[in-house]
Formats: sequence, C-alpha cells, structure tokens
Amino acid sequence: MATGPGQAGYTRAQLAAALLIAAFLAAFLIVPVGMVVYVAFAEAGGGFTLSHFESFFQISLMQESFWNSLYVAGMSVAFATLIAVPLAYFTVRFRLRGALIIQTLGVLPLIMPPFVGAVAMQLIFGRSGSVNLILQDAFGAGLPVMDGLNGVIFVEALHYFPFVLMNLVVALSNLDSAMEESAQNLGASGFRLFRRIVFPLAMPGYVAGASLVFVKVFDDLGTPLVLNVTNMLAPQAYLRITSIGIDDPIGYVISVLMIAFSLFALWASALALRGRDYATLQRGGSSLARRRLEPRQAAAAYAWIVCVLLLVLSPHIGILLLSFAKVWSFSVLPDAFTVQHYLTVLEDSPRMIWNTVLYCGLAAFFDVVFGTAIAYLILRTRLPLRHTLDFLASAALAIPGVVLAIGYLRTFRGLEMPFTGELLTSSWILLVIAYAVRRLPYALRSCMAALQQLHVSLEEAAENLGATRQRAIGRIVVPLMAGGILAGFVTSFMTAAVELSATIMLTASQSAAPMSYGIYLYMQSAAGRGAGAALGVLAVLIVALGTYLSHRFLRGRAADLDRQTQDE
Amino acid sequence: MRLSSLARRLAGAALLGALGCASAFGQALSIVTSFPKDLTAVYKQAFEKRNPGVRVEIQNKGTSAGVAYVREAPANNKPDIFWASAPDAFEVLAKDGLLARYDGGNPAVPAKIGSYPINDPRGYYYGQALAGYGLMWNTRYLKAHKLPEPREWADLVKPVYHGHASISSPSRSGTTHLTVETILQGEGWEKGWSQMLQIAGNCAAITERSFGVPEGVNNGQYGIGLVIDFFGLSAKASGFPVEFHYPSVTAIVPANIGLIANAKSAELGKKFIAFTLSDEGQQLLLDPKISRLPVLPATYARAPAGYPNPYGGTIKAKVNFDSELSEQRYFLVSAIFDHAITFRHKELAAASKAIHDASAKLAGRNPKAQALLKEARELAFTPVVGADKVKDKAFLALFRDTKRDAAKTRQITGLEQYWNSVARKNYERAQELATQAAAMAR
Amino acid sequence: MNEKVKVEAQNIAMGYGGNVVLRDVNLVIEPGEFFALLGPSGSGKSTLLRLIAGFNHARSGRLLIGGADVSGVPPWSRNVGMVFQNYALWPHMTVRQNVAFGLEERRLPKHVIADKVRAALALVNLPEYGERRPSELSGGQQQRVALARTIAIEPQVLLLDEPLSNLDARLRVQMRNELRALQRKLGITTIFVTHDQEEAMTTADRIAVMDQGVIQQIGTPMDLYDNPANRFVANFVGSINLLPGRVSNAADGGAVFDSPVFGRIAIARAPGFEGEAEAALRPHSLVLAQAPDDSRPFWRDGVILEREFLGEFVRYIIDVAGASLTVDRPHHVGHPVYAAGQPVHVGVDTAQLRLLRTA
Repeated sequence: MATGPGQAGYTRAQLAAALLIAAFLAAFLIVPVGMVVYVAFAEAGGGFTLSHFESFFQISLMQESFWNSLYVAGMSVAFATLIAVPLAYFTVRFRLRGALIIQTLGVLPLIMPPFVGAVAMQLIFGRSGSVNLILQDAFGAGLPVMDGLNGVIFVEALHYFPFVLMNLVVALSNLDSAMEESAQNLGASGFRLFRRIVFPLAMPGYVAGASLVFVKVFDDLGTPLVLNVTNMLAPQAYLRITSIGIDDPIGYVISVLMIAFSLFALWASALALRGRDYATLQRGGSSLARRRLEPRQAAAAYAWIVCVLLLVLSPHIGILLLSFAKVWSFSVLPDAFTVQHYLTVLEDSPRMIWNTVLYCGLAAFFDVVFGTAIAYLILRTRLPLRHTLDFLASAALAIPGVVLAIGYLRTFRGLEMPFTGELLTSSWILLVIAYAVRRLPYALRSCMAALQQLHVSLEEAAENLGATRQRAIGRIVVPLMAGGILAGFVTSFMTAAVELSATIMLTASQSAAPMSYGIYLYMQSAAGRGAGAALGVLAVLIVALGTYLSHRFLRGRAADLDRQTQDE
Repeated sequence: MRLSSLARRLAGAALLGALGCASAFGQALSIVTSFPKDLTAVYKQAFEKRNPGVRVEIQNKGTSAGVAYVREAPANNKPDIFWASAPDAFEVLAKDGLLARYDGGNPAVPAKIGSYPINDPRGYYYGQALAGYGLMWNTRYLKAHKLPEPREWADLVKPVYHGHASISSPSRSGTTHLTVETILQGEGWEKGWSQMLQIAGNCAAITERSFGVPEGVNNGQYGIGLVIDFFGLSAKASGFPVEFHYPSVTAIVPANIGLIANAKSAELGKKFIAFTLSDEGQQLLLDPKISRLPVLPATYARAPAGYPNPYGGTIKAKVNFDSELSEQRYFLVSAIFDHAITFRHKELAAASKAIHDASAKLAGRNPKAQALLKEARELAFTPVVGADKVKDKAFLALFRDTKRDAAKTRQITGLEQYWNSVARKNYERAQELATQAAAMAR
Repeated sequence: MNEKVKVEAQNIAMGYGGNVVLRDVNLVIEPGEFFALLGPSGSGKSTLLRLIAGFNHARSGRLLIGGADVSGVPPWSRNVGMVFQNYALWPHMTVRQNVAFGLEERRLPKHVIADKVRAALALVNLPEYGERRPSELSGGQQQRVALARTIAIEPQVLLLDEPLSNLDARLRVQMRNELRALQRKLGITTIFVTHDQEEAMTTADRIAVMDQGVIQQIGTPMDLYDNPANRFVANFVGSINLLPGRVSNAADGGAVFDSPVFGRIAIARAPGFEGEAEAALRPHSLVLAQAPDDSRPFWRDGVILEREFLGEFVRYIIDVAGASLTVDRPHHVGHPVYAAGQPVHVGVDTAQLRLLRTA
C-alpha cells in the first residue's frame, strides 16, 4: 500500500484509480463519440469520405436546421440575459426584502424538464392559451409567442436563464466593495458605474452562464419536439436515426456538427475569459454593500421582479393547474378541478418515480465518487497526464445527449449483458451510465471547488498526527468536502432527473422508464395529459425537496467553513 | 483510494441487486407498440393478471421508429410482438422476413371489412381493432371563431378554415400516413396531392407527433385536426369539448398485431395475440380512455349507445384501401410530404393565404387576374412528383431500400433537396402571383 | 514523556527540477533544544521543516531523528508533531475531536484518550473549550488548540511553522512567552520557523539563519547579533551600518581598516583576513554630540538628513563624507533632539566594530 508520494508524486493506488476512471470514460465517452465521428466520415466499405457532409449541406432543410439551431441558441441566450441580469443585480446590489426567495424561485425552472414547461406554456401563451384568449377578448389580437422558433426560444430562455442568474449572483456577491467604492470615489455612479465597473467584473460569471445556456439549448430535443418544431439540428438527428435507422449517415453528420458547435461555444467562452479570472473577494475586503432603494424605486423594482417571476413561474403554474384540471380546453382557466390524476399516477406509475430516484441517484453517486477522485488526483498528486482526466471528464459537457445516445446505440449494438443476456442497449444500466457521463462535469466542478478551498495543511496535519493518507482522506478530506460533494450530487441528480434527450433514445420499455420519459409518454394521449402533468408536479416536488434539504445541510456547513477560511 | 473503492463495491452491489430484482419477475413478454400508455396499460394489466409470473414489457416507439427498431435488433434478441395501426408497416416487416406466421386468430372475426381483409391472409399479422380516419374539432374553438363544422376532407380546403386545421407528418405517424394514403387512393395521386396541399396550406401546424394533432385540438390550439378515430373518441370520452366525424372518403383499416420472427418468448407472444383477439380482449377496447373499434362484431352489443359500428353501417367507407400499393410507396409518400409540406409549411401557408385573399378580392371578376390566380393555384397545389413517376419501379425501389451507402444517400438527399427547393420556389412564386392578382382587383 | 531526541540533517539537498530549494544543509539540533530556523520567505526554512515532518523529500543527504534515518518513513509514522501556520484545525470537528484525532489514530483506549485530551487542553489553558467548534474560537485560542492537538500525541519533536504570524502584535508577544514556557516544561526538542528575528531571538536557544536554501550561520541569538558571519546575517538580525573599505594586518596583532568614510582606523582584534571588507556597526553603538568628547576614540563630522521618533530612541540618518549612517539615540524626557540640516559629530567605538569579508 501507499507510502509517501516520494519523488514520483503518486502512489500505486492513485494510479489504479486514475486508470479505472480513464477506462470508464474511454468506454462510455470516447469510444461512442469516436464511433459517431467515424461513421460520419466513413465510406460504406470503410475508408474516409466527406460525401456525407456534402449530402448534408446539399439539403436546404439541413442548412436551415443548422441556422435555426444557431439562431434559437443565440436568441435564448439573449432573452435569458434580459431576464437574469436585472434579477441578479437587484437582489445582490440592493436591499430588497425576500432577495433569497427571489433567487430561489429564479432557480426553480431548472428542476422541471423543459418540454413539460413547453406543454404548460402552450396552455398559457399558446394560440388559444389563457393570455391570448384574454388578449383576443380585449384587443381582438394575440401574441404569437409560442409559434415556431419563437416558442422554442421563449421556453428555452425561461428554462435555462437560471444558469446565467446563478453564475451572476455568485460573481456579483464576490465583488469586493472596494472596487465599486473606488469607482464612486473617482466620480462614477448609477448606470455608468454598473456598465464600466460592476458588469465587466462580473463578466466571467456571466460568460460562463451564457455559454452553458447556449450549449444546453443547442442540445435540447424535448422542447422542439413538443412544440412541433423539427427544422433544428437536435430534432433532425433524432428523426433521422429513429425513422430511417441507426445506419443513416446524415444523423451522424448532424451529431458531429452539434459536437463541433458545443465545443466551439465552450472554447469561445474559455477564450473570452482567459486572463480575466479576477480575484474575487480580497483579503479583508467585504462584499458589495447593499444599497437602500427609495420607496418609489423599490416599488418599481418589485413590480418588475414580480412580473418576471410570474413569467418565469408560468410553466409551473400551468403544469400545476393542468394536473388538477378536469378539462382545460380553449378557456382561460380549467373548467373544474380534480385530484384524480394524482391517484392515477400513484396507482399506475410508482415504478417510474422509483426509477428516477434509482437511476439519477446511482448516476449522481458515480459522479461524485469519480468527481472526488479526479479532483484529488489533480489537486493533490503529481500523476502524469492527470489534467487529461479532467479534460476528458469535462468534455462530456460538449457532447449533446442525442449524440451520446446515438453513439451508445451504435457502439453497443447487439452487445449482451453478462448473466441476464439482456441487450445492453435496452437495459436501464446504459441510461444510468449516460446520465453519469453527461453529469460528471457538474459534479467534478463542484468537487474541485470544494477541494480547492481545502487547505492542504488540513490533510497534512492529520498525517502528521499519525493518520495514513487513506485515513486522512476518509476522516478529513471527504467530510470537509461533504458540502461540495453534496452540491455536486444534487446538481447531477437534478439535471439528470429532468433530462430527456438521451432518455427518449435510450429508454427501452415502460417499466424501465424514468419520470421524464413517463411524462412524455403520458402526454401522448388525451386521458394522460392530466396524469402526465401530475407526474411532472411530483417530479418537481421530489427534486425541489432534495435540493431544499441539501441546501439546509449545506448552509450550516458553509458557515463553519467560511469562518475558518476567513481566519486564514 | 480506499474510499472510492468501497464506493465502487457498494455501487456494484446495488447494480447486481437491482438486476436480480428485475430478473426475478420471471417470464417477460416484450411488445413494441405505437399505442398510447392508456391502451397498453389496460392490456398489460389484464394479461399479467391472467398469467401470474408473466411480465409485459411495453416499448413505445412511433410506427416507423418501431419498424426500424425491430429491424435493427440483433437476431437473437428480438422483441416478441409488434402492435401498431398502419398495415403497411406490417407489410414492410413481413417483406423483410421479420414477422412469424401464426394461425391462432379468432374465427369469429370476419375475414373482411368492406373489401379490405382484416387479417393478413398469409397469417403474418392480425387485425386487432378497426380504425377509421376522420375529422376532429374543438366545439368551443369553432364557436369562438364562428366556423362551420367540417364534414369532408374537401371542406378543409375552404378559405374559411385557413390557419385553423392541423395534421401530423406521415413520416412521424403511421396513422397520418394512412390518412394521407386514404386520400391519395380515394382521390387519385394528382388530385389527392392537390387536396392534401390545399389542406396543408390551411393548417396552422404540421405537428411532429401524431398525438400533437388531437392534443392541439383538445386544448384549443387548433380548431380542427385530421386524426384516427380513437383519438377523437377517447378525447370526447375524457370530457374534452370535441367532436369527431368520419368523412365519406375514409377507409376502415385494421390496426394490427403480429408475432416477430425469432421472438424470444414466442409462445407467450402467441398467447398475448390470442388474448387481444378474444372476447375479453376485444371488450377492453370499449374502455372510454381507449375508445377503439373492435374487430369482433359481437363486442359491439356491449358498446354504449352511439358507439360507431363499422359492421352496422354507421360508418360509410368509400375507399377500399390497397395496402400493397401503400407499402410500395411508403417511404416515398413520407419523403414527399416532408419535403414539400412539413419542411416548407411556412411558404405553403403563406401562398395559400395569398391565394385565398386574392380570390376573395377578385370574387370571380377580372379574367386576367383570374388567370394569374389559376397559375398560382397550379404552382402551389401540384405535387412535386408526377403520377407517371410513381409508376417507375426503379424510382420506387430507391426509396424502399433501407440500406444506404454514400452514393445512394447522396442520390436520395439530392432528390429530396430538389423537391424541397422546387416546392419552395413554387410556393413563393404562387404567393407573388396571387399578390399580383389581388393588386389588380383594385 | 518521551526521551528527548536529537535531530540531525546531513548534507541535505532538495529541489524541484532545476530549481534548488535546499543546498547542502548540515544541522545538529540537540535533545530538548528550542531551535529556530530564521530567514526571509523563500529561504528554504519551511521546506526544511516540512522535510523533517515528512511532507517533502530530499534529493540527497540523510535526516536523522534520535539517531535513526527517517528518510523513507511516511509522515504518519514519524511521531513528529507539527503546528501549522494556519493552525489547520478541522472545522467539522469540535476542539475535543481535533485534539483526540492523533490519539485515535494511535488506537489508544477511549479513557486514555479522554484523559490525554483533558490534560492537553489544560496545558494550553483551554479546559472548558472542548465542545466548541474551531470557528467559535479567537485566533489565540485556535493557536492553543493547534498546540494542544500536537502535544497530545507526545511527539519526539515539535515543529512550529510560523505559529505566531496570524496573531496581532500584543497577542504575539504573549503567545511567544507561553510557547517558551511550555517548551521548557515539556523539554521537547522544538524547531520553530519564523521570519521575525525578534521572535527567534526571544524564544530560541539557538538559531539557524537561512537564505536561498543555504544555512548562513548557526548560533545563539547573542552570538548572531554580536558576531554576524556575513553581510546577510548582519543585515537580517537587527539593523546595521555597513561601510566598505580595506583591511590590513598591523604589526601589533591588530588591524587597520581604511575606508572613505572613516579614513584609517585601528582595530584592536584582527579579523583573520585582509583585503576588501565591510565595517559593521550597530546604530546604537554610535553616539552624537555637538562637539567631540573623550567617550569615543574618534569622531567624524556629519549633517542630519532625517529624523524618526521611535519612542525608546530617536533614529537619525546622518550624512558622513557622502555615506548615510543610521544612528539610534536613546530618548529621555527633555533630551535635546537634532533637526534636519543640523551639523553634528558622530562618535565611533572601534570595540563595537565588526569587519566582514566582502563576498
């Protein structure tokens, strides 16, 4: 077993852990994605060809899908920004009652699958939705916000803006008040102060959030499907593969393009941020002072925030109404209410709820185990190529769910599981693996951040007092990282629970379906709409409850750690 | 890394445990179906109750996705049963040798409905329920928009319905494919496509999923939808303010069930098919959530009053559906529909609108403008593939073969691209001409 | 209590890549000695300490603790207690749990652990604080807990890494005295790393002054102060005036130092070398007067450039023949002070003058 790290800078156990993780990533990320890329460039009998790409660009539909995807992703980022920036600025910068509630509510959209939101949004903002019925009545004209690409942009922006919000809130909270005060001292104030000092300093946070929104929207399959928009890349990839077959090369070409664009977005954001990782709170500094608003300003701010929150929460309100609605058709509100849908779901599909908990729980568990291990290897050892591991794990962020699923279906085609003889491609285990691989970057970031905050002397003190490296990890490192690990677990779990792109392609049968797929299934029949909504509400509740509990746990811990780090 | 190795061991144990649970259920029957959960859940429950220890696994796939799935499953690991509406999908499967013969049908089921055989004469698949295609509308929507109730497909080409109808794409929905085929067979290729194009021009949306249409009508997004009967009937039974009507150009076609070749649980599969065709199995179709037409005539005796009965003459099917013809051009029709309608719907709808507006303005006057308008109509409502071309066997074969190498992919995508761009050009030109015509009315 | 042990470093060298951190370090720390490693940051003092603790590894050389070579022994088996600069108290554990940690790792029986924890906390005067969290303690209290945690395992050697640097000035002096008292009481061999010469001089029995990975001088505090081995030590330990010149031996066994500032002056004790040299003079060994008197062998004229009032004394910067000399003059109530620009006489005591060979 391990002795000191010696001149090599790592132990055999650490090397073994690194190899194991590398093997996992190779089998379930590199090879499948490599397969997708290979097929996109391969001749039927082998050999390299660009013919498939030529075919792709010959089809004007594909060109159109390509531009539409770019347009939708770009516009979604723009609208998400419009929603998030004022929310973040007002709540961090001014003394507003209920700032925490506002920020929490602002994160709520993330815990609902976006396509479920789309269904609810149809009922509220659609052609004959509540809002348009009222507008028709009053003005004789409606707002076509849910038509075509507009609808996709609207739903995606509302669903993903929390990424921008969360990153901005963190970035703004970490700004040293001296930064702002010195600008004020030199004569800047009001909007100029915001534009010239506050926003540029918060820029890294913003760019990180915005690029995430871009990638996510680019990747989302469920929302365009539910809104009947097919001329985008993700739906086209899905349609080609599912209706023409796993051998259709165009599907692979689309996949390669989607990977390329995700990589490009992430690379561009990394480039934009290079050398701009402004030190946050400086030693002895304090975060931005919260200014008081004059009553009139406060009223205006509140009114605005309430409007935004209503908009943001409309999918939730809609889905809640739908889940209790007896019949809701061409009317502002449902005709009558019932709890029947919940009874149906609880009687019918407890298995789906359990499946979600099982799959996402397992996936999140793997993620934090791998995340912790990778973080440790990177920050605490001098293992050669350890940064490659980080890069590989993070690369999953750039792989759209549809693409990963296509890669799995193709790579593991016909592969049988040991013992059961079941096909791997129709086994739920593949779904867990897909979730684990796709959510690993979140868990990894979280674990890395937690370990980075941990001064190495805390471990050394333990070793110095007689704890072996393993015991120091077990008794000191992991317990102290618990907050970060838990946050990583929750993020992984939450985002896996609402994901549909890979789910819809990898779910083999109803009994193995998680809730997100179950909601989608229910929504396919007249009688199932209410039940699907009820399942959606239950999904939101489960995820929200988990998030809330972990937050409560984290808050107590964070206080301890904060005080500790401030003393340093 | 003691901790993570422990974690891995735990995870491994959890995985094995869960696997053990799954396999402890005993015999499994795997069904690939395009039917909604409402229907499958009822059958699953009933069948599992009758056969303790049996586990029914439902795999929901769209019809064409289901066909692809069955085709691509490895030979030793095929699902057991394929259960879907479109007979042509079964024809495709049978032709590829993916279905197994089975001779356990219910003798009480008549051989034919109209002139259409309910069961495959070779025994590859059986009619399990009957389906007609028709119009479904939201009564509140029609009232609010002051629209008359439609009775025939042809009604939907009327200007008054512009922007109120909806249909799904045949490439995504077997039932829509049948609807489109029914119209094409009922009206003939050219006229059928022309009608289809005009209807599509009046549609507010071409939905991605077949259920997108009834869903949109149910919640009032769209006024009228072209749907398979049970979508309308079950929605009505679920309390939605909707009505359903069979137009005269409809075909009563069986929804089918078939045993997949080399099925893992072939015996259980046969048992399931027999169950769905039995008296008990047929009666399940009358469940309001399902609302489908049984193939067993005796079952109608137990149906609620007003339940449509194809054996009793409440539905008059004018079209004798030719499933062989349909099967031959299955992918072609889908591809044409997608590239000329689904993906060019914006331009088509704009052209329709312009034509409607112009013809309202002209009201039959101004012969020069009328000529322009006629040209616009021809441009907008003529199919991109002529009737002669469809008779070309080599042309059809190109689309039937699913194995595609690079050259073939290029050939097909080239064709599709050609249709797409021709359609776009035509629609834009038609809109231009119609606008010109309208301008002349002043 | 453990037997007192000796710590020896023999020809230790260490580096990362081409970057040399320690160079030929030789050191003998006597059993029970309070030994300080003094040097600026980057001098290698902390590296040497971590090497003794087992966190760093020497490229060559031997490290002996109690006569045994510990080079291959991992940190957890060395029984060398270390108090970290930031204390490294574990925030998820109470004070008691922190202190008990090392004892638990040694698999001691529960009641023994309880006794030893109690004793350790009593030793640092925190008997009532066992159930608190580190975050609920002041800086000085945290320091004591860190100390208690380390001495609870009764280490052979106690290592202190800048233990006082995070405390405010007043507390630092108090803790310094407590540390010293505790070490006396336990008699444990202690190595103390600091960059603060006052801290080192007031606490340590002996000091090793380090710079650029090399030990410059080892000696008692007074030894270092009075007889700095080189310019670096002279400068680092206390303030000093350094004046360049030449030294040559005189016939009487003394020497002559010839410099532009002082001219030729006779030195009673020859330094043992000739040639380029610097004269080192502590600021308080120089005197100022309106006129020369007999208290010093010779005087030079100067002009006051600057004056700083430091309480116990007044520090003058004086221009003497183009060189700036620092002179500290004790301050008493009513004592006259000189103003900038005022001419003065600077008196030099050659007995206080040390000659350093110019490197």
